[in-house]
Amino acid sequence: MVDYYDIDDILATGEKVPSIFNITVPGLGYLEGNPGKPINEGTKVELPLWLAEQLAHLEAPDGTPFISLLEPESLNVKVRNAIRTDPVALDVHSILPNYYKMAEKYCSFFSDEELSEIIKQMIKERSLEIYSYANNSSKQMNSRFMLSLDEFEKRLFKIASESNRQMKNWLKE
Amino acid sequence: MSIPSHLHQNLMPSEVNFLAENEMIQILPRYSMKSIQLIGTKIPNLRALRREKVPIWVALILKSQGKCNIVPPKWLELGYLKEKYDEEIKNPFKFSDLPWHWIEISKMLLSKAADDLSDPSHQLRSIIQDLKEIRLVKSKKGFTELNESNIALTGLSLLEINEIRPFVLGVMNKLREIHETIDREGEEEGEEEDDDMD
Repeated sequence: MVDYYDIDDILATGEKVPSIFNITVPGLGYLEGNPGKPINEGTKVELPLWLAEQLAHLEAPDGTPFISLLEPESLNVKVRNAIRTDPVALDVHSILPNYYKMAEKYCSFFSDEELSEIIKQMIKERSLEIYSYANNSSKQMNSRFMLSLDEFEKRLFKIASESNRQMKNWLKE
Repeated sequence: MSIPSHLHQNLMPSEVNFLAENEMIQILPRYSMKSIQLIGTKIPNLRALRREKVPIWVALILKSQGKCNIVPPKWLELGYLKEKYDEEIKNPFKFSDLPWHWIEISKMLLSKAADDLSDPSHQLRSIIQDLKEIRLVKSKKGFTELNESNIALTGLSLLEINEIRPFVLGVMNKLREIHETIDREGEEEGEEEDDDMD
């Protein structure tokens, strides 16, 4: 739990992910709007990641895990292809404000090497773009790209433009 | 800590400048002065018109009082810098070899001792600006090659490294986090982030 106090991490784990119950659990019906009833095997529900992660690890007495995680929309094939085509054009913020944290969690959960490679490539290409924007921050503040940044990228933009600003001010002295 | 977070890992340009002021430089005193023993350094006996090496901050104080002339370092000269500029253009993947504090020292000397330099200061300023820009473009090009473990900064000076450090560290940290999510069997533990940057 390295990120115990990291607010972005907490927000990212609050994100709902689709999952399927592998067994029937009595009394959990309220998760799908049936208070008091059991939740049936094969029911698809959206659970917050922090809960889903635990339930997917826990096993019922017969050895099957309580739930199976499904791939969330934010990481499905369509999004992956969009990243592959043009990472810079992708509106990450509208997909998830904490996209990288979420992707990170999924990479480690499924050991999805392909996804991690895609995400790494995406970070590289987008950060280059962020750096260019940070160097001319006075101008294009309202561009579409700036609105598509996720929380991590916003922070990155902020520190990059801050150090750039300091440098410019010092040179002017 | 009470200092703002952006100063935890990084120096301000003025702090880098402060470090650069400790570099030694040759001066040509106009008056004589007895040597002074300071905690960190020693100012030697100064005799009129005999070259001595002193820290830049001492040189600048004496210069502002009109008590010495500064002998500009041999790299702060139009021909040499032009050569370096051509070198930068010829080797698109390599930084030419400039002093660790070249930006700070040239800035200090240009603003405070312009009359001691061997070339007109506007020409020096423009070639220094050109050099800075071409090197910045190069390091930006290098960002496409970033990875989670190491970065080569051969030839960059402290101020240039300092400028890109917060950004580069941010990207590399994220890459490392993503990289570490995958258990790679047979790979050695403890891939560490390279500290070339310091």
